[in-house]
Amino acid sequence: MAILERSKWYDLARATNWTPRYVAESELFPETMSGSLGVERSKWEAYDEPYKTSYPEYVRIQREKDAAAYSVKAALERTKLLENAAPGWLSILKAHYGAIALGEYAAMSAEARMTRFGPAPGMRNMATFGMLDENRHAQLQLYFPHEHCKSDRQFDWAHKAYHSNEWAAIAARHTFDDLFLARDAISIAIMLTFAFETGFTNMQFLGLSADAAEVGDYTFSSLISSIQTDESRHAQIGGPALQVLLANGHKEEAQKRVYMGIARAWRIFGVLTGPAMDYYTPLSHRKQSFKEFMQEWIVGQFERSLIDLGLDLPWYWDKMIEEFDYQHHAYHLGVWFWRPTVWWNPAAGVSPDERDWLEEKYPGWNDTFGKCWDVITENVLKGNIDATKPETLPIVCNMSQLPICAVPGNGWNVRDYPLVHEGRTYHFNSEIDRWIFQQDPSRYRDHMTVVDRFLAGMIQPPDLSGALKYMNLAPGEMGDDADNYAWAEAWRNIAATRRAA
Amino acid sequence: MTQSNVADAYRNNRVGPVLRASDLTEGVIEAAREDNPDKVIRVDDKVAYVRIDAEGELILRRETLERTLGRPFEMAELEVNLGSFAGRIETTSDYVRFYYEKKL
Repeated sequence: MAILERSKWYDLARATNWTPRYVAESELFPETMSGSLGVERSKWEAYDEPYKTSYPEYVRIQREKDAAAYSVKAALERTKLLENAAPGWLSILKAHYGAIALGEYAAMSAEARMTRFGPAPGMRNMATFGMLDENRHAQLQLYFPHEHCKSDRQFDWAHKAYHSNEWAAIAARHTFDDLFLARDAISIAIMLTFAFETGFTNMQFLGLSADAAEVGDYTFSSLISSIQTDESRHAQIGGPALQVLLANGHKEEAQKRVYMGIARAWRIFGVLTGPAMDYYTPLSHRKQSFKEFMQEWIVGQFERSLIDLGLDLPWYWDKMIEEFDYQHHAYHLGVWFWRPTVWWNPAAGVSPDERDWLEEKYPGWNDTFGKCWDVITENVLKGNIDATKPETLPIVCNMSQLPICAVPGNGWNVRDYPLVHEGRTYHFNSEIDRWIFQQDPSRYRDHMTVVDRFLAGMIQPPDLSGALKYMNLAPGEMGDDADNYAWAEAWRNIAATRRAA
Repeated sequence: MTQSNVADAYRNNRVGPVLRASDLTEGVIEAAREDNPDKVIRVDDKVAYVRIDAEGELILRRETLERTLGRPFEMAELEVNLGSFAGRIETTSDYVRFYYEKKL
C-alpha cells in the first residue's frame, strides 16, 4: 500500500482550530491556561513548528531509542562498573536521578497543558509527543537507578527526593513549579521548551554525557544523550511561539519570560552540573570545565539562537557570565560543608592535582575558594572533622532557595540583595533573583525557605538532628565526604616533604 | 580562557547537527561534505557527541545519506542520534536544513 509522505498530509491533518458551537472560545481556551496574551487564535495559525514528526514516525523512532538505551544497560550490567567507579561518579548519578527523574513528570504535565490549551494547532500536536517524551524520561530515570537501591540506599532518592523537604529538592521543586508546572501554555513554551530545554538541558544531558563516556559509564552516557534527542525535538515548540508574539507586538512580555527562564535555569544547573563537572568527575576523565561547557552550549549555541529569533540579550547577561567564574564553586563549597543534608556523598575534589586544575581553569581560585579549603584541609588533617561540619544556618535566597554565596577569601564579594515587601524582608543572591521576585511578588511572597521554616519553629528540635528529620534523611542516606577524606592525605605528604626539605 | 572570549563566544554563524556517538557519524560527515560543497565542514569530536557544523547553512539530503551510509535511510531516523543542533532547523522527508537567518 502506498503511504503518502508526511509533508503531503501534515498541514491539513493538524488544522484543528475548529470553531466551537456549544461554548465560547474563551471558555474552551481560558486565558489563564492558554496565556496567549490576547493574540487572536487566527494569528496563531501562523505558528509553524520547524521540527516535525508524525505519530507513526514517533512510535518507530522512540521504539528504536528505547531499545538502544535498554540494550546498552543490559549489555553492561555485568561489568560491575559502578562497583569499581570513583565514589564521586556515584554521587553524580545519585544527585542527577534525585534532582531530575520526578521533575520529568512535572514537565509531562506542562507538555499536557500545551497539548490541551496551546492556542496554535502545531503547538498542540508537538506537545502531544513532548508529553510522551517526558513520561519516557521519568520512567527511564526511575528504572535505571533502581537496580542499585539494594546495595545503596541513597539511590532510593531517585524516587524519594521530590517527596521530601530536603533543601535541594525544595530548590528543584520551586524552580520547576515556577518555570513550567504552574504556568500557562505559552509561558511553558517559552520558559520550559525555549529557555530551559534549547538552553540548559544540553549542559546536563550532553555535556555530562561526554564526561560519562570518559569515565567509561556508557550506560549513563547513552541514557542521558538519548533523552536529549527527544528534548532537541520538542524544545522547538518555543521558537515559533516567540515569533508569533514578536510579530504581534508582544516582544517585551515574551522576553521577560525568556529572561526569567534563563535566570532560574542557571541557578539550578549551577548547583547540579557545576560541582559534577568541576569536582565530582575524576580529574583524568574531565572532558572540559563547567565554564568551558557553558561557553560552548549556553553562549556559543543558545545565546546565538536567541539573537537569531530577534530577541535582545537579557539585561543581566554580563553579570551572569561573570558568575560562570564563581557561582558553582560557591555552591560546591556549601554543599560539601552541609553534606549531611544531601542524599549523595559530595566529593571534595581538592587534592593537590585537582587544585592545580582548578587554578588553571579558573585563575585566582587558590586565592579565593582555596582559602576556605585550606582551613577545611587543615582541620581534616588534624582529625578535627567536627570543625568541618555545619553548626549554623546559611542565609537562603528567597528565589533560588539556595544559599546566598559568592566569592570568599581575597576576592570577597558576598552580599545580600534584600527587598522589603508588605512588611516582610526577603533576601536574594543577586539583583537577578530579586528582579524575578519583583515581576510578580504575589506569586512568590508566601513561600518560606527552609531557613524561614527553621526560624518559624517548624523544624524541631531546632538543630541539625531536627533538620535531618525534617528532610527525611535517615542514617545511610545522609551524605558524607565521598572519598572518606582520602584527598587530604596527599596534602599531609606534601607538608611532610616540605618539612623534610 | 579569558572573560572576554567567553562573552564573545556568541559571535559565530556555525550551524549543524550534534550527534550522539553512533554508527551514523561518519556517514553524516561525508554527506555534509557532499551536500555543502562550497562550505568548510568542521568536526569537533567529544567522544560522547560530535559537533558537525558549517557557516550559515548546512543541508543533509536523504539521497546522499543513503549512499554514504550504504543503506536505505529515512530522514526521520536522524532523530535517534540528533542530540542537539546549532542554528534553526527545517525538517522534510527529503532533507534536513540547519541555518541562521541573521549573519553576525
